[in-house]
Parts: sequence; C-alpha cells; structure tokens
Amino acid sequence: MKLFQVRKGQFVYYKNELHRVYSVKAMYRQSVHLMRLRDLTQHLSSAAEVEKYHPKELDSFIFNKNVYTLSKDRKAEEGDFILITNPNPDYLDHYSLNEIEVVATVENKGVITNKSNGIRHHEYLLMVPGRHEHSNPIEYRDIQNIDESNLKEQSDVNNDMLPTIGDVYRKNDQDDLMEAMVVGIKNNMIFLGGGLELPDEDLMNTEKWEFLYNLLDK
Amino acid sequence: MNANKLKENSVFIISLILTLIFIAWGVFFTDLLTKVTNAIYTTSIDYLGWVYIGATLFFVIFSIYLLFSKYGHIRLGKTTDRPDFNTASWLAMLFGAGMGIGIVYWSVAEPVTHYTKPPYGEAYTTDAANVAMQYTFFHWGLHPWAIYTVIGLALALCQYNKKLPAAISSVFYPLLKDKIYGPIGKTIDILSVFATVFGIATSLGLGALQVTAGMHSIFGVPNTLIVQLIVIVVATVIFLISINTGLEKGIQYLSNAAMIISVAILLLILMVGPTLTIIKIFFNTTGLYINDFIHMSLRMRPFGQGEWIASWTLFYWAWWIAWAPFVGMFIARISRGRTVKEFIIGVLIVPTLGTCLWMSIFGGSALDLVINSENHELAKYIADNVSLAIFTFFDYLPLSSILSLMGFALVAIYYVTVADTSTFVLGMLSEGGTLNPSNKIKMTWGIIQSAVAAVLLLSGGLTVLQTASIAAAFPFAIIMIFMCYSLLKGLNSELEVQARKKKVKEY
Repeated sequence: MKLFQVRKGQFVYYKNELHRVYSVKAMYRQSVHLMRLRDLTQHLSSAAEVEKYHPKELDSFIFNKNVYTLSKDRKAEEGDFILITNPNPDYLDHYSLNEIEVVATVENKGVITNKSNGIRHHEYLLMVPGRHEHSNPIEYRDIQNIDESNLKEQSDVNNDMLPTIGDVYRKNDQDDLMEAMVVGIKNNMIFLGGGLELPDEDLMNTEKWEFLYNLLDK
Repeated sequence: MNANKLKENSVFIISLILTLIFIAWGVFFTDLLTKVTNAIYTTSIDYLGWVYIGATLFFVIFSIYLLFSKYGHIRLGKTTDRPDFNTASWLAMLFGAGMGIGIVYWSVAEPVTHYTKPPYGEAYTTDAANVAMQYTFFHWGLHPWAIYTVIGLALALCQYNKKLPAAISSVFYPLLKDKIYGPIGKTIDILSVFATVFGIATSLGLGALQVTAGMHSIFGVPNTLIVQLIVIVVATVIFLISINTGLEKGIQYLSNAAMIISVAILLLILMVGPTLTIIKIFFNTTGLYINDFIHMSLRMRPFGQGEWIASWTLFYWAWWIAWAPFVGMFIARISRGRTVKEFIIGVLIVPTLGTCLWMSIFGGSALDLVINSENHELAKYIADNVSLAIFTFFDYLPLSSILSLMGFALVAIYYVTVADTSTFVLGMLSEGGTLNPSNKIKMTWGIIQSAVAAVLLLSGGLTVLQTASIAAAFPFAIIMIFMCYSLLKGLNSELEVQARKKKVKEY
C-alpha cells in the first residue's frame, strides 16, 4: 500500500507518462483526475496508480505538443509560459501548484499573467521552448520500457502540430480581422476557406495566425 | 535615481504621512481629537449630509440605468473571454466580500436599536418594529451594493478592456487620459488610500469591540478598552507573521471556513427561531422597503434634529464608500468575462436579496423575541450594548452555547481575514496598481491600519469610529461621482470597439 497523498497540482506519472493532477475527488473510486501534459487530454485514475514527480530546473517535457525546458537562466518576457512551482497566492490571486500560465507584463518584483495573477519571480520556473542540451527529459518515467508505438508517437510530435483539415485559425491583424478553416492540404500548401492559399510555415507562424480549435474536436 | 524612486512611491509616502499625522494627533491630543471629531459630526449633519444622501441615491439610479442600457451586452474583457468562476461560486464570493464583520455586528443590534429609538413614531410599538426592519433593509439593501457596482464595474472595465493598472486613478483614463500618471492621478490615489484606511479601521474597530464582547460572554474576560487594544495587537501580530511566512494560504482557508459557518448559523437560527414569523417579516419588509424607497433615500430633517440620520444613514453611506475601493477591487478581479448586465444583476440585485434575507432571519427573530417577551429592559440592554447584541440574542435561543461559539469564531475569523487581505489591497493601491505589492509596504499598512483602529477606539469608541469614516470618505464620495461620468465615457468607447469587431466578424 502506498502511503502517498495526492494533491491538486502535483506532477505525477501515470502509465509511465507525465500528468498533472487537476482535481482530487475523494468520493469517487477513480479519485485522481489527471491532465496529460503532452496533449492536454483528461484521464481518471486512483492514488495507487500514480507516482509523484517534483519538477526542477533543467527538466524538459512536452506541454500541448511543444517541448519546453524549465529554466532560470533568463528573465521572463511577455508571452512566455511559466510553471508555478512555489505558489504563494495573494488575496486577489487564483492559482495553485504547477499551474502553467502565460506572462502578460513583467514588473520589478514579479510578473502578471494574462489571468490577472500577480506572481513573484521566486514562485515560478520559466518554460523555455525547445530542449536544452543538458536537460533531463521527464515526460516518461522509464524511458527504457516505452513500447514502440509510444516512441513513434513522440517522433510524430512535430507532425501533430501541422495543420489538419478542420483547424480554424484567426489572422492576427488589427485592420483585417478574419477567421478561416483549413479545407485542403497539398504537400506544403494549405488551402483555407474563402480561397486563401499559403505555405504551412506561414500558417504556423504564431505572430501571423492564431490556432483557435479544430472543428472535429468539438 | 533616488528622486525617481521617491516620485514612484509618492502615493505611498504621502498617504502614509497623512495617516501618521492622524495617529500622532490621536495619541498625543486624544481630547482634542474627540472634540474635533464631534465638531465634524455636527458639521457633517448640517453641511455634508445632503451630499452623501444625494450621491448614494444617484449611484442606485445610475446602476439600474446601466442594467437596462445599451451597454448591457458589453463584456468585461475580450469578447472571447468567459467567466473564470461558475455563477454560484461567483455569487457566494461577492456576498462574502461585501458582508464581513458588519453584517454580524449589526444584524441583531440595528433592528432592536431602531425599535427602541425609531427614526419617527413611538418606540416599542408594532409600527416601530416594522419601521426598524424597513430601515435595516434600507441601510443594507440596494444602496451599498450600488456603490460597489459602480466602482467594481469601473475597475473591471479599465483593467480588462483598457489594460490599465489596477489603481483607482486608472478609472479616470477616459476623462484625464495620460494625466492619470501625473499629480491629478496621484491625488486621486492618495485620497482613495486615505478613505480605505479609515473604512478598514472602522471595520477593525467594530471587530475588536465584538471579539472582546464575545470573549466576555463566553469566557468571562472583562469587556474593557485594554482588552480591545490587546485584541488588536494580537491580531496584528498574527497577520504580520502570516505575511512573512507564506501562511497566507491558511488565511484563505479561514475565509472559506467563515462562509461555511455563516451559512450554518443562518440555517440554525432559521430552524430554532420563529421560522414563520421570519418569512412574514421578509415579505412584509420587502413591500415596505420598495414602497418607501424614495422617501427613505432622500429623508432629511430640515426642521428638526438630524442626529438619527447622521448616526445611522450617513454613517453607513460613508462607511460603504470608504470600503468601496477594497470591495471593488475584489469584485472586479472575480468578474472578468461577465457582461455588464450579468455583472449588475450579480452585484446589485442578488446580494441585496441575500442581505435582506440575512437581516430578516437575525433581526426578525431578535425583534420577535423582544416583542413577545414584552421585555423593554432586554431591548434597551441590547440597544445600549450593541457589541454584545448578538451574544445576548443567542442566550435566549436553544443551543445557545453552540451558537455563541460559532458566532465568536465567525467574528474572529472575519477580523483576521479582513486585516490580512486589506494590507494587500492597500499595498496595491499605494504602489500604482501593481499585483505584486512588496511585503514591506504590506506590513507597514498592516501596522498603520491597526494603529488607526486603536486610536479611534482610544478616543471614544463606536461614535468616533462612525464620525471618522464620515469625514474621511467625503473626498472619495466626490471622486465616485466623477467616476460615474468616466465610466459612462469608457463604456461608450468600448461599445464602439466591440461593435466594430462584430461587424468585421459578420463579413
């Protein structure tokens, strides 16, 4: 029997993959509710099936199909993702352990996220895109025992991020607001509704286009 | 560099100096302070009364206008934002923020005091009882929540739609543009900090009175000024420790506990009290309240003594206004993603119903007790010892020791949570609206607000608390009137922005 208390926010391994506990519902048999960090899907489990992990500097993992390395090397900037590892919320704040938020403004003493939380600099680790060369990959607990299908999936991570039919994008342009759906793909050319045609790297440039949702996910 | 830093902290430094002067005055010239506050008290009845009365009624009308106006569909935040909290917990949080110590302190004391000393008519009659409930509804009903609606809406709009810092001066951006970062903006911020310190000190003062009264009735501790001051010191030490050790999470748990205890007490009294009478009182008083709304809202006594109005209505209006920056910040924070219409229904209408229900249950059963026992002495005792009121009332109910303990726990928790959370808001207001106020500034305000509460108690207790908030809130009441105009301008420009976006979408 494992004497381990699962709490909201903890990073845990479940079926060998890294998850975040988003809720603990003591009344249910499957009391531990998890979110898989790799693709933000929900999974239900029980305390016996999970194993705690404490994220630290230079750990790297996949969050929503992108690889990030936890770092303290540089200061946070607007638009950066942060992982709140040492939460100490004030009266008007609403965040908990290991929450991932986006920086909206940087102040002397801390940052303000786009959820209007004021977070001091010592409360978080910066999530720097990409895998640092000395980083310690943590998305799998036991990298030896991963079955092949999982490995294949991992190499497909980049493919996962490519536009697929049914993706709805919004153009990031103040004067010319528009939303369009991917209706066709031919090699590197993406066809959007409304007769637009552009190369995939243009559509994946987050400064120009913002991914909203996929029609099939709804 | 140094001059720059001084300029950056000017709001903090000036408001700190102003409050320190006040504290020094109270400690070294206590008699003079009592005299001056008495003078202000009389002046406020004659000269300031109509401003408070007029402004507060105006806020009610203005909020109701906004509810039905073309601005109703404007969303606080981006058009794609959705509320962070579900509606039930949002309403619970709103109600908790606006209530606090006051509702526990006054819910029994106010109706019974009105019954013994009604605003008009003869005391100890059935009419007096009805008038007592009616005025309690009036003081805790639409008016306070309209004040919170105006300031909360203005703060939410400027933070989420205009992306300005969370300071009171930001609200004036539509009127003053970049001048909000200059001396005018700083003056607004200083006045808002000053009003807030007194609003909080009033609550802390009432809290200290009641915690002491509770200890007196449960544990037999003497009910004296010294004990009240000790309560303030102990609470100050507790929340200073919590700021420094990261125990603030614990304070959040405490405030959740306060909500649960409130509901439990409410249900318990509804069950052990005169349930049917309470329901009748709720309906009857709601009718009276709606019927006499305008008369009560504008009631002054041009041909008589206005003391009753000053010690009740004016005190409440001033207290709510002094509280408004504190509550407004909180309401704005939890309301992102709501539309203006949702916001006004949630902040004006629903909490008003909630407070009226609370007052019917507490005040109604207390009045029922006093009237049925035909014990004028009891009524007089409650009216003379307002801080003991709720515990005296519990003594006459079944399960009295449990109720007293719960009531005491509730007051003590409210006291510590208000003292703790207000340091954060004061830090924020005095540091230009940052969401990361430094611990040093938070601790300074923590000590200052306790000192102000102590000084006010030292120089005369409840009456001085009431007078001080009437005087300190006055400049801020004027600021709030301009805030309405600024809010209207801000909503107008937002209407254009959101309409333009919608048009683009339709293509």
